[in-house]
Amino acid sequence: MHELSICYEIIKSVEQIVIENELEKVSKITLEIGELSTIVKKYLLDCFAPAVENTMFEDTIIELETIEGIAICNGCTTNFNVIKNNGYCPNCGIRDMEVISGKEFLIKSIEAY
Amino acid sequence: MKAFKILEIKESVFKNNNQQADLLRAELKEKKVFLLNLMSSPGSGKTTTLTKLIPLLQKDLKVGVMEADIDSDVDAVTIEKTGAKVIQLHTGGMCHLDADMTRQGMNGLGVDDIDVVILENVGNLVCPAEFDTGSVKNAMILSVPEGDDKPLKYPLMFTICDLLLINKIDVLEHFDFDVNKCKERALKLNPNIKIIEISSRTGFGVEEASQWLLAQVKQWGEY
Repeated sequence: MHELSICYEIIKSVEQIVIENELEKVSKITLEIGELSTIVKKYLLDCFAPAVENTMFEDTIIELETIEGIAICNGCTTNFNVIKNNGYCPNCGIRDMEVISGKEFLIKSIEAY
Repeated sequence: MKAFKILEIKESVFKNNNQQADLLRAELKEKKVFLLNLMSSPGSGKTTTLTKLIPLLQKDLKVGVMEADIDSDVDAVTIEKTGAKVIQLHTGGMCHLDADMTRQGMNGLGVDDIDVVILENVGNLVCPAEFDTGSVKNAMILSVPEGDDKPLKYPLMFTICDLLLINKIDVLEHFDFDVNKCKERALKLNPNIKIIEISSRTGFGVEEASQWLLAQVKQWGEY
């Protein structure tokens, strides 16, 4: 739903990095997306083409890496994968947790010259 | 040609927007202008609530309103009748406002003679929660017909808001809306959220909401 504006945010951030590091060309941008962030990978990739049109990133490859959504159960302190278990603790069965990873949405690295 | 290199960045995609938002907040602090970001689903009664709230605020404050919509100016026309200074912002299809767009709106509105600016964000419980607008406080409206399960479905919105107005409380008897359950769910996500039951139709609870906002505005201007 908001993937297009997120593409613009990424472009703005990378442009800043390009200026700071005096880069000429960015060949690849690697993003880390948590399973529990609100980003739909397919939509994000679909939005990149129109977002980078007429920018220096037209030929840049976008690579997405996933960060697993892990939570700790507030009842029995079991660590579990939130998506695979539909949010229910596989040990005690309750749905009450603290998420410890998977909400991230980061620009991990860029390849450039 | 320079050598090929890999730069480890590890920064949030929202870093740029967050920096812009912090900058805008610092400028507002300097000018002693308070910015409230008001969010909700479409049809929850943002504009109607404002038409009741603004006259109460105007006893003490000069009020400005920024109406953000994908299209049309019906909300701005409605708000203008309260005597508040209004600007209509078109987001051009975007489902939210970011800090840059908010700044443009503030510049367009002109805030030198204003104490409090209320930003009526695009009706949406998802995207506006992701983008810091540079507001001093965030408020949201949840209306009774939407259901008491919304904190479970849109947790981020309830997490980032300082004020929750439960609107259309006058029609509560016609819906299976459990006020206590709703409050419990919101407070579990955000123990600091202030919750006020209101009816934008009858005006019930709007006075309490205006007192809350007035206290926030005064606190902001004091430092």
